[in-house]
Amino acid sequence: MSDDWIDPDIVAHKGWDTSLLKRLLKFARPHAREFLKSIGVLTGVFACALLGPWIWKEAIDGPLAAAIDARAAGDTPDMAPFLQWIGFYLLVVLANMGFYYLQTAQLLRTGQLVIHDLRTVLFRHMHRLDLPFFDSTPTGSLVTRVTTDVENLNELFTSGLVVLLFDAVKIIITLGLLFTIDPLLATVVVALTPVMIAISIIFRGGARRAYRTVRARLAAKNGYFQEVLSGIRVVQIFRRERRVMERFDGYLDRYLRANLRTIFLFAVFFPVLAFVVNLIQASTIWVGGTRIVGGELTYGEFLQFWFYLAMFVSPIRDMGERYNVIQSAFASAERIFQVLDTEPEIKAPATPRALPAHAGMEAVRFEGVSFSYIPGREVIEDVSFEIPPGKTVAIVGATGSGKSTLVSLLLRFHDPSEGVVTHDGADLRQYDPRAWRGRTGLVLQEDYLFAGTVRENLVMGREDVTEESLARAIEMSSCGRIIDNLEGGLEGEVAERGATFSTGERQLLAIARALAADPALVILDEATASVDSATEAAIEEATRNLLKGRSALVVAHRLSTIRRADEILVLHHGQIRERGTHAELLGKGGLYAKLHALQFGEDTEGRNKG
Amino acid sequence: MSGAAKGGSLRRFARRFWRHRRRLALGFLSIPLAQLGDVGITLLIRDALDKIEAGDGADHLASTFWFVVGVALLYGLFRFSQRWFIVSVSRSFERELKQDLFDSLSLLPFSFHDRTRSGDVVSRATSDVENLRMFLGPGTMYCAGAFVILPVTLTLLFSVHPQMAATIILPLILMGLTIRLTAPRLHKWSTAVQESLADISSRAQESFAGVRVVRGYAREEERSERFAQDSGDNRDNQIALSKWRGLQSAVIHLANDLCFAVILVLGGYGLLAGELSKGDLFLFIDLVIKVFWPIIALGWMAGIYPRAVASAKRVAEILDEESEIRERAEPVELGEPAGEIQLSGVGFVHDGAPKPTLSGIDLNVAAGSTVGVVGPTGCGKTTLLGLIGRLHDATEGVVSVDGVPIRDLKLSSLRGALSYVPQDSFLFSDTYRNNLLFGADEHLEDEELERLIETACMTEEVAEFPNGLDELIGERGVTLSGGQRQRTCIARALARDARVLILDDCLSAVDTETEGELLQGLRDAGDARTVLVSAHRLSTVAHADHVLVLTEDGRVADRGTHTELAARPGWYQETWERQQAEEALGEL
Repeated sequence: MSDDWIDPDIVAHKGWDTSLLKRLLKFARPHAREFLKSIGVLTGVFACALLGPWIWKEAIDGPLAAAIDARAAGDTPDMAPFLQWIGFYLLVVLANMGFYYLQTAQLLRTGQLVIHDLRTVLFRHMHRLDLPFFDSTPTGSLVTRVTTDVENLNELFTSGLVVLLFDAVKIIITLGLLFTIDPLLATVVVALTPVMIAISIIFRGGARRAYRTVRARLAAKNGYFQEVLSGIRVVQIFRRERRVMERFDGYLDRYLRANLRTIFLFAVFFPVLAFVVNLIQASTIWVGGTRIVGGELTYGEFLQFWFYLAMFVSPIRDMGERYNVIQSAFASAERIFQVLDTEPEIKAPATPRALPAHAGMEAVRFEGVSFSYIPGREVIEDVSFEIPPGKTVAIVGATGSGKSTLVSLLLRFHDPSEGVVTHDGADLRQYDPRAWRGRTGLVLQEDYLFAGTVRENLVMGREDVTEESLARAIEMSSCGRIIDNLEGGLEGEVAERGATFSTGERQLLAIARALAADPALVILDEATASVDSATEAAIEEATRNLLKGRSALVVAHRLSTIRRADEILVLHHGQIRERGTHAELLGKGGLYAKLHALQFGEDTEGRNKG
Repeated sequence: MSGAAKGGSLRRFARRFWRHRRRLALGFLSIPLAQLGDVGITLLIRDALDKIEAGDGADHLASTFWFVVGVALLYGLFRFSQRWFIVSVSRSFERELKQDLFDSLSLLPFSFHDRTRSGDVVSRATSDVENLRMFLGPGTMYCAGAFVILPVTLTLLFSVHPQMAATIILPLILMGLTIRLTAPRLHKWSTAVQESLADISSRAQESFAGVRVVRGYAREEERSERFAQDSGDNRDNQIALSKWRGLQSAVIHLANDLCFAVILVLGGYGLLAGELSKGDLFLFIDLVIKVFWPIIALGWMAGIYPRAVASAKRVAEILDEESEIRERAEPVELGEPAGEIQLSGVGFVHDGAPKPTLSGIDLNVAAGSTVGVVGPTGCGKTTLLGLIGRLHDATEGVVSVDGVPIRDLKLSSLRGALSYVPQDSFLFSDTYRNNLLFGADEHLEDEELERLIETACMTEEVAEFPNGLDELIGERGVTLSGGQRQRTCIARALARDARVLILDDCLSAVDTETEGELLQGLRDAGDARTVLVSAHRLSTVAHADHVLVLTEDGRVADRGTHTELAARPGWYQETWERQQAEEALGEL
C-alpha cells in the first residue's frame, strides 16, 4: 500500500492559467475600489521605505556634514536645517505607521470581501444542482469546495498576486536606486541577485514537494488515528492494542521522516540566503570603503545603500513562497469553477405555470412514466396512476423495486425519461420546481435534523408556518411530550444530527415538520426501525393525522397505513404488478391477498396493529 | 491558577523534550555562536569604517572582506545546526508524544471513548501537541537567540554611547509591550475566526448531507441565506482580526522607525560633538536592524505561552487518564474456557446519566448454547453485550464466565475467549486479507480464510474483487455494501477460534435468505460455541435456544424460546407479526 497516496482534496499545484485568472477577476471587479485602495496603500508603504534612507543621506551629507565642517572651522554650527530633516523624517515615520496598519487591514479586508461573495455564490449554485451531483460526490469534498478551496483563493488576493507584482516592482526600483547611488556597488548586487532568486526558487520547489509528502503522510496518520478511535471496541475485544500501536508507529515514523526533510531544507535555505547577503555586505564594505577613501562615495550614501540592501532582500526571499500560493490558488480556482460550470437540468421554466391560488392540490397523475439512470436499465417502467385530491396512494414492494424513485419523480428530484407526471393536467415541468415542492410535506425514512432549535427545525424558515399551525402540528404528531421533556422546550437545541432524540422521536418530529405548513400533498417514506409499542402507537396516530384529508404518496411499511390507503400499488422491478384498495386486493385473490392470508389468517379486520 | 501550577504541567513536557539532550545541547550551543557571528560581522564593518575615517586608506578593506566572509560562513553553519538540531528534536518529541497518546487511548476502556467526543480527542492529539511542540522547539530556539543577542547588543551600545542606547530601549519596550498587550485580542479574534470557519463548514456539511430535506421543502434560499450569514460573520471576524494585526504591525514599525529617528538625532549630534565615530553610528543602525526580529519573537513567545500551558494540561489529561477497567492483583486465567456465561442482577448506568441503561438483568447462557437479546431501539442491547468483554464494567451485579466473576479474570484471558462482531460493522481501510487476519491470533493460510469467507457467505463477492484477497477496502479501494461489511465482520470474528461469539445486531443489512444460510453455517462451524446475538430483526433469534426481551428502559420484559414468545401477547409477538408482514410485503 502506498502511503504517499494523496487525497485529491489536498491542495494540488497548477501552473499559471490566464483564463482562470480572468474569471477570478470577475469576482474582484465589484470590489475594484478596494483593490485600488490596496494598491495605493502598497505604494505608500514603498514610498516611505524609499524616503527614509534618502532622508538619512540628505541629512548626513548635507546639513550635518556642513555643521561638522563649520565646527572644525571654529564657527557655530547651524543645526536648524538638520532638525528640519528630522521633522520630515518623523512625518515619514508617522505616515509609515499608518500605511503599515492599512497594508494589513486593507489587503485582508479586500480578500475577505471577494471570497465572501465567491463563497456565497458557490454555495447558492451548489444548492441549485441536481441530486445526482450530491450522490456522486462525497459530502466531505463538497464541503472542501466552500471552505479550503475558497480560503486558498483568499491567499491569492491578500498575499499572492498584488503583492507579487509589487515585489517585482520593488526589486527593480530598488536596484535602479542602488545604481544612482553607486553603479559599481550596484553591479555587485545585480550580479548576486540571480543567485538569490535561483536559490529561493529551487528551495521553494523542494519545499513544496517535501510539504506535499508531509501533508499526505499527515493525512494518512490522522486517518488511521481516527479509524482506530472509531473501531476501539473491535481493537480491544480482539486484543489488538499492540498491533495497532505498532502500525501507528509506522505512520508516525514516515511522518517524522518527511518532516525532517523539510526541516533540513529550511535549515539550509535561510543560512545560505543569509550568506549571500553577507557576501554582498562584505563586497559593499570593500568596494564602498575604497570609494569613500577615493572620495567617490559619501558616508551618507553608504548608509543609504546599506538600508536599501536590507529592503531588497525580503521580496526575493518571499518570491518562491508567493509563487506557491498562486499555484495552489489556481488549483482551487479550477475546482471551484468546475462546480460553477455544472448546470442543473431541472430548472424553472422561463414563465412557470402558476399553482392554484388556494393552497389545495388538484389531481396528480403519473402517465406512462419510465425512468433510468443508465439508458436501457429502467428503474421505473411505464408506471401510470393517479393521486386524486385528498386521497392516499400507498406503494409496497421490495427494496430496489423503484419505490423511492417514484418519490423522487414526484418531488422533481429527477424528471422522467419517458411519460409525464402531471398536476391539474399540466406537466410538472411547467411549474417552478421550488414552488411545487413548497406545496408538499415530506417525511423521509431517515429524516434530517439540522443544528438549531427544535422550533427552527419544525418551521424551517417557511413563511406559511404560523404559531397556530405549528402548535396544531405538534399536537397532531404527538410531539408535545417530546418537546416538553426537552430542556428549553421548543427553543431547546438539537444536538448534532438530532442525537438528542430516539429514532421514534425523530420520526414524530419529521411528521410535525411536514404538518406545520399544512401541506396539500404529503410524501411519506415510512421508516422501518423497531420502536416500543407506545411510540409505535404514537407514530401510527401521527401518520393517520398526517394523511387525513390530504393527497398523499406513501412508501408504506406499516400495515395500518396500507390498510387505510385509497389505492395500493404493488411495485415489482419498476412495474406495477397489482393495484386496488386493501379490500379489493384481498378480493382479487392475487399475490397480495395470498400473502396477507398467510401472515394474518382470518383475523384481518379486527386488529389495528400489524 | 498559581504560577507554579501553571508551569508544572508544562515542565513535565519540558522534561520529555530534554530526553534528547545530546542533540539539544548541540543546537543550543550553536545559538550563541551564531548570534555572536552575526554581531561580529557588524563589528568588523564598524572597524573598517572607523579606519577609513581615521585615514588608514583602503588597503585594510580586502582583509575585512575576507574576515566578513569567514565569519559569515561560521555564522551560517551555526544557524544551520541550531535549526536542524532543535527543530528536528521538536519533531521527535511530537512523534513520541503522539505515540504515547495513541497507546494510552488504545488501552483506555470504552467508557472513556463513550464520554469523550472523538473530535476533542483528535484535537488534543493534533493541535495541542503542535502548540507544545511550537513552544518547546522553535519557541525556545528563538527565545534563546533573543536572550543572547539582546544583552550582547545592549552592552555594546551602552559602552559606545550610553545615552543613545538608553533612549533606543524605550521604543523597543513599547514594541514588546504592544505585542504582549495585543496578543490576547489577536488570540480572541483568531479564535473567533476559527470558530466561524467551523460554523461555515458544519453548515455546509449538514446542508449537503441533508440535501433531500432541503430540496424537498424548497429551503435552498433559506439555507443559502444562513450560509451567507455564517460566511459574513467569518468575513467580519477576519476583518476585525486584520485590524488588530494591522495595529500590531503598525506599532512594530513605529518602534523600529523611532529607533532610527533616535539614532539619526542623537547620532547626528554625537558625530558633531565628536563623541561618536561614523563606524559607531553604523554599529547602532545595523544592530538595531538585527535585534528587531528577536524582540518580535519574544513578544510572540509571550503570546503562545498561555496556550502552551493550556495545551499541556489537555494533553496531560489523556496521558494521566487511568483505566477504570482494572485487573485484580492476582487475576485468574481461564484455562480451557467452556463458554458458560452468567449475569446476575446486572445493571449499568452511564457516567452522569440520570437513568440506568440496564437494570436487574439475570441471564444464564449454557456453554455451547445460543441466546438472543432483543428489544426496542435504544433498550441497551449493545451495552449488555459490551459488559461481557468488559468494554464497560457493570455498575451493579456480577457477570461471570465459567463461574468466575469476570473482574477476577485476567483481561487478556477473558477477551481471548471472546470474538465479537460490532453493530457498526467497523472495518479498517486496509486489504481484505488484513481485515480478516485482524481477528486471527496466528497467521492463517488462504484456504482457511476462504473457508471463513464461505461461512460468512462472501465467496461470490470476494471472487469479484480484481485483486482478490489483496483488494483494498474503504475509500481507497472497493466500497462494500452494508450487508457485505457485516458479513466480512463475521468472517473476521470467525478467524479467531474463540469459545464465545458475540454478534451485536450484525445482520440487519443482510437479506433474510442469506441470514438463514449464514446462521446455519455458524451453527455448523461453531459446534459447541456459545453465541450471544442481539438483533433488531427477530428472525435472527428465531432459532436461538433462549431469547431475552428487554424493555425500552433496559429491564427484562420477557424471556423464553421464540415459539413461546411468539405465542404470548406482548412486544415480541407484535413485532414478530409486523416484521413478518412487512417482510412479506417487501418480497412481493
